[in-house]
Amino acid sequence: MVDGRKPRPAFAPWDRRALPGLFDVEESARRVGAYAWLEMRLFEALGGWIATVPELDVKLVLGRHCYHHAWHAEQLQQRLPELREMNPARLTLPANEGIVAFAEALIEPEAAELTIEKLVGVFRVLLPRTIAAYTYHLNGTSTITDAPTIRTLNFLLQDEFEDWREGEMLLQSLIKTPEQIERASERAKSLEALIVVAGGIAGAGTLGEEVYELENKSEAVPE
Amino acid sequence: MKRFLPVEELARDERFIRSDLAEGFSDPRNGRVRDRTISTARLQPDRAAAPDRARSLMHGIFVGEIQALEAAGRTTFDFDDTEAPFALKLDMARQCWDESRHVEISVKLGEHMGTEIGEYTEATFLYEAACVTDPAMRLAGVNRALEGLAIDVFNTMKDFGQASGDPVLKFCEDWMLADEVTHVKMGSDWLRRLTERDPERRERALEFQRAVDKLFSLGGFRGETDESPIQIARRFRELAGFDTKEIDEIAGLAAESIAETRALLGKTG
Repeated sequence: MVDGRKPRPAFAPWDRRALPGLFDVEESARRVGAYAWLEMRLFEALGGWIATVPELDVKLVLGRHCYHHAWHAEQLQQRLPELREMNPARLTLPANEGIVAFAEALIEPEAAELTIEKLVGVFRVLLPRTIAAYTYHLNGTSTITDAPTIRTLNFLLQDEFEDWREGEMLLQSLIKTPEQIERASERAKSLEALIVVAGGIAGAGTLGEEVYELENKSEAVPE
Repeated sequence: MKRFLPVEELARDERFIRSDLAEGFSDPRNGRVRDRTISTARLQPDRAAAPDRARSLMHGIFVGEIQALEAAGRTTFDFDDTEAPFALKLDMARQCWDESRHVEISVKLGEHMGTEIGEYTEATFLYEAACVTDPAMRLAGVNRALEGLAIDVFNTMKDFGQASGDPVLKFCEDWMLADEVTHVKMGSDWLRRLTERDPERRERALEFQRAVDKLFSLGGFRGETDESPIQIARRFRELAGFDTKEIDEIAGLAAESIAETRALLGKTG
């Protein structure tokens, strides 16, 4: 029989969770709000694009992914009231002007011939960035105090990985000619430049790096 | 990308041939079906025309689901947060996923039934109902009228699957029917919430719904008598939140439409 009165440590020997983490309440909330804002712009764009892409398989994937990202925004917004802000809309904000410019450029393609441009923006530029930012957040934040955010991000990351893989496979099936390779590269290049200037999806320090110096920004802006 | 994509700009591959309703009615295959049809217009498996009619209807469901997917997708994008709150857009995003699955199911069922993409033409009047710029009107037209029609169509096809001993057809239609009931509920809920303080706007939206319902009842396509191939699914409509008065009204529109078509045929014939 186990003696329940014998003292045991609060943490099992294999439990390596620790205090503190990289982010205080405000910083975690700011990041979560920035993620939610971008997930919202993304699901709206995917929904709008459904009618503009002629490829039937792409149309159906966009329909599915549209809901994934709307659900991500909802999950993130549910976390915000727990992070000191009772009105999620007040914290659902872009990280900076640069990320607004990036989102506008991402959403811009409309014509039926621009499926590659639409997909490259999402699957070769944005989703790798969201995967990186969410991974950094859950690796850096306190595994005890910010555990609810970690749990949410882990659910989101499962979708992000699977959606990225599906989107990348669609792109590989669509890009067949030198001209299409060039289009995909150019599109990725122009959007990369914008998100580098923004500092990532959560702004400067998205991945904990040094804050990007303003005077260097012009080097990343496409001519 | 601009807001409000006109129907002319819907993107399709080369298999899709667009037609208007009149062209659809003049499809010579419909004539052959009519020649083989005596008495009831209902889908009945022992009738010689039944397989052709069921395949044609399945293709119609397929293109209708694509347009429903596109319509829900546009509602996530066309309106800002003041016109359509996030929770509404979240419902529409969920509907996108559902409609994507319905397209997938329809493609597979079409193959199962012996038809293929592009065998029949595509009429785009379903998407046209989603081109209105007031979200309340759009939800009334798409989620209450169009998705309501989908309840009737799926229930008819489910019954046909049951009667013809096709468990795959019955199984799939029943799953899609469950989703459509949810979509109609969403439409009713959001119509009420968006127009809570604006009864005139609500009446305009309901008037638009009636116009769309009448269009879908065209020529007696949907009704409650033997003259209609698609039967009004009263029980599932009730589950979706329609009251008896509303269902009676749709049945009335169908009867009206049959009478108008008869009068028209009398004049031209």
